[in-house]
Amino acid sequence: QLLGAGPADGQDDDTDSEESEYSGLEDSGSDSDSEETGSDPDSGEEDGSKEASEETGDEDAEVGPSAVKRDIRNTVGNIPMEWYADFPHVGYDLDGKKILKPLRSKDELDAFLDKMEDPDFWRTVQDPQTGRDVVLSEQQVALVKRLQKGQFGDINFNEHEPSVDFFSYDVMIHPVTNRPSDKRSFIPSLIEKEKVSKLVHAIKMGLIKPRRSQDDSKGRYYDLWASEEQGRVRDLRMHVPAPRVPLPGHEESYNPPPEYLMTPEERAVWEQQDPEDRKLAFVPRKFSSLRQVPAFERFIHERFERCLDLYLCPRQRKMRVNVNPEDLIPKLPRPRDLQPFPTTQSMVYLGHEGLVRSISPSPCGQWLLSGGDDGSARFWEVSSGRCVKKVEVCGAIKSAVWNPNQGLSLVALAVGSEVLLVTPPSTAADKQVVTATERLLSEEVESAMGEGPVIWSNAEGEELLHGIRIKIQHPKPVSQVTWHSKGDYVAAVMPDHSSHLQVLIHQVSKRRSQSPFSKNKGLVQSVAFHPIRPYFLLATQRSVRIYNLLKQELSKKLQGNAKWISSIAVHPGGDNVICGSYDCRLSWFDLDLSTKPYKTLRHHRRAVRSVAFHRSYPLFASASDDGSVIVCHGTVFSDLLQNPLIVPVKVLKGHVVTHDLGVLDVTFHPSQPWVFSSGADGTIRLFT
Amino acid sequence: MSQLQLRLLTPSHKTVDFDFLVKGQFLRTPLSTHMETEGISTEDVVEIEYVEKITAPEPEECMMHDDWISSVQGDSEWILTGSYDKTARIWSVEGKPVLTVAGHADVVKDVAWVKRENLTSLLLTASLDHTVILWEWNSEKNKVNARHCCRGHTASVDTVATDPTGTKFCSGSWDKMLKIWSAVPTDEADEVEEPADRPRKKQKTQQLGLTRTPIMTLSGHNEAVSSALWTDTDEVCTASWDHTIRIWDVESGIMKTTLTGSKVFNSISYSPLCRRLASGSTDRHIRLWDPRTKDGALVLLNLTSHTGWVTAVKWAPSNEHQLVSGSLDNVVKLWDTRSCKAPLYDLAAHGDKVFCVDWTENGLMLSGGADNKLYSYRYAPCQTDAGA
Repeated sequence: QLLGAGPADGQDDDTDSEESEYSGLEDSGSDSDSEETGSDPDSGEEDGSKEASEETGDEDAEVGPSAVKRDIRNTVGNIPMEWYADFPHVGYDLDGKKILKPLRSKDELDAFLDKMEDPDFWRTVQDPQTGRDVVLSEQQVALVKRLQKGQFGDINFNEHEPSVDFFSYDVMIHPVTNRPSDKRSFIPSLIEKEKVSKLVHAIKMGLIKPRRSQDDSKGRYYDLWASEEQGRVRDLRMHVPAPRVPLPGHEESYNPPPEYLMTPEERAVWEQQDPEDRKLAFVPRKFSSLRQVPAFERFIHERFERCLDLYLCPRQRKMRVNVNPEDLIPKLPRPRDLQPFPTTQSMVYLGHEGLVRSISPSPCGQWLLSGGDDGSARFWEVSSGRCVKKVEVCGAIKSAVWNPNQGLSLVALAVGSEVLLVTPPSTAADKQVVTATERLLSEEVESAMGEGPVIWSNAEGEELLHGIRIKIQHPKPVSQVTWHSKGDYVAAVMPDHSSHLQVLIHQVSKRRSQSPFSKNKGLVQSVAFHPIRPYFLLATQRSVRIYNLLKQELSKKLQGNAKWISSIAVHPGGDNVICGSYDCRLSWFDLDLSTKPYKTLRHHRRAVRSVAFHRSYPLFASASDDGSVIVCHGTVFSDLLQNPLIVPVKVLKGHVVTHDLGVLDVTFHPSQPWVFSSGADGTIRLFT
Repeated sequence: MSQLQLRLLTPSHKTVDFDFLVKGQFLRTPLSTHMETEGISTEDVVEIEYVEKITAPEPEECMMHDDWISSVQGDSEWILTGSYDKTARIWSVEGKPVLTVAGHADVVKDVAWVKRENLTSLLLTASLDHTVILWEWNSEKNKVNARHCCRGHTASVDTVATDPTGTKFCSGSWDKMLKIWSAVPTDEADEVEEPADRPRKKQKTQQLGLTRTPIMTLSGHNEAVSSALWTDTDEVCTASWDHTIRIWDVESGIMKTTLTGSKVFNSISYSPLCRRLASGSTDRHIRLWDPRTKDGALVLLNLTSHTGWVTAVKWAPSNEHQLVSGSLDNVVKLWDTRSCKAPLYDLAAHGDKVFCVDWTENGLMLSGGADNKLYSYRYAPCQTDAGA
């Protein structure tokens, strides 16, 4: 067909060009295809050179192979060559000169002669581009022949290769195939292209109008979050993560270690519990292999619970403040740096039978007075633990106090409803002091002895030999006596709910008693004289009242949060008061600061029985029913702006708790950092 | 070490135990451990001294008293004890009671020998009744006679000490004063200005001896003077509850040095052999002081083993390294300063607080306490045959 067409003046048709285009042949340029040579410059190089050498032998041959590449080509481009049918030329070369058609002066006869004579006539075709006759090479002829037979143009292509089965009758594990994708999947779909072009045409022509965007002028829809732009940013930044799913544990394994399996008892307990109370939501089970694990029946349940978790998860970020717990502890100096303070038990004063209610050291520090339930007051030598004198009285001694005045050698004892004034052994003090005491006690004072509720009397006979000098008979049992620092006044407490006569102040030198309070303000627990100023402190169950004795008025009322105050002590500086209570507390009041406690210490486990300040060292101690004495460091600064520094330094143990009573009284040595304590076990202990 | 000991033992004639000294410290552990703890380099040449091992003191006598024993002082022949039953007693070193010296109105707190001349001796007793009595004792007649009653203190006299010449003595008291008295008995009483309004009836208590007043009163302590001693003929050293040890010049009556501790001092002792002061205080430690140093390092050594207050310390009269201490923890301990980590021997004979310890020159150690017993221990004074 091609051969036939070739001589017939080289007209080409679309089908041919189409075929050659898709056949993928290399040498299509030398074919009869006219467009190919123009469009594909590389394809024609070898064939063109052959043509030049074989046939024409004109300028092409002279130019040589390098020139062939360049300018034998027609520059008219990919156009139907019949457009040049009426022209003497077929196009233009690179220099713009006309490429003239070869002279075709051959008539039928010449053609016939050629056909007859020329052995290559059958394979001579006219190049439509140039109009020349081209003799096809052997290869080209063979190609043409193959194509005519419907074979592949490439000789090397084996069309009978063994086929690869994409599908087989076997059931494969994978549903996918190894089939290469179809060719059609690479090329644009013509049908779609047609549809699109129709639509485009219709839009161009105005047949279809694009959907008009609905104008929302009525305000049916609005931006719900428009005003919350800031908040949304914040939400993104402050992302609240979903609560974490707890990681599975060993008990969730299909083959847990035996200790994770439930024993029958545990199982029974588990079944009895409410589902909310159960520690595990399921019973751990053991399977020999994973295959035998049944379907998870709680799946929906668990999903639901997870959804609940997510749904109910708190939507607010918890601001977790990173606080170092060390920083919360107040910076207190180490107890080691606060030496000296009592640390060890050094001496035990043995002798009392029964509770030792009260102890008091002599102002010089050489002697110690103790009074107990066995009805004896004893004088001890501090340094050796020797009982140098024992005064027997009738009844338990509730309180025993040494006169703080160095110029007097006198002690006061509270026995039953009497207050006894007793002289210590005469060698315990200087002779002049003893003489002064004698003079004071033996003075005949015409006091109003018959008046009032109190009867003063001089001791006689046996009692005088023991050292008992003056007896002051009270209407009610006396629980506490305390001296004024000058040593002339002694206050006695008679606790009574119903009476206003609970406190009496006696003046020893004048043998006179007075009742300072005319109203009942509650059960009086303890009283104390202020060490410097003319104040009188009175502790009732809930509060401590401070009275000004000169102005005779209430100066201050300290409200502790204690339920039942047991004892009070005044700092020797006079501005601080500590107050122990039966509800295990010790409250420190700064009188300049407030009427509320500056600090409350709760170190004792049982009721606090007694508190004491040291006279010179910054120490205070508290004694409790738990058998311990706690010594605290309490520096009071002269600078009013600086709060007292309170550091607990030592817990002193030693007393045996007897009948639920531990340490009953605590007091400091007047000059050394030593503390005495007396307990329910009948001992007095010295800690140094 | 045992091999070394064996080798060392062979030349000696009889089996005598030795103690080994490495750089002045007793060897108590294997040598390697000792050198490790003491930080002695193994490269150095270590000189090992050996001395005859101090044998354990053997309890000799137990002298029963009627009451607590507050003080003891031994002599070559006699032992003087003061007791809480207001008497002082004289015992022979064999443990026989010789004499009871009664006369004080209160507890006898301290006793001291003043002079022993042939048959007559002078002795001192200090008491809680604020007086010190100078007694003259005739050992032949076995009679005691109160020569002087030294009045002047206003509180209990806790300590009394005689000077080396035996002509003076000092006393320390709870009234914070140190008083120097003459110890020479005379026949005339010193004038005492009596308060005019003093009640006459108190005077009827029999006057024991002639009243004597102090030559000198030295004040400076802020608390009770607990212990006093003479370090020289005119130098007195006192320890006090105010945490200081003070050294006084008796001639001029001024305070020369103050050694400040941190705890109450109960007792001090001075050894003229090593010129050290040993102090026993309420914090369980025995401290050795050099009273002559002027720089800050006053405490030379801490001997810590007691568990209670150290109430008494005493240097050995013949050995510069040894001292004995008594404590409220009922134990008497024999120390050697070359073995400061642990005492040489613990003498746990007492059943109650120990108040006093002493040495006699003839090899007896004495200790008395609150169990009313005075123990004497035979102690072999070791001859210092040090080898290298």
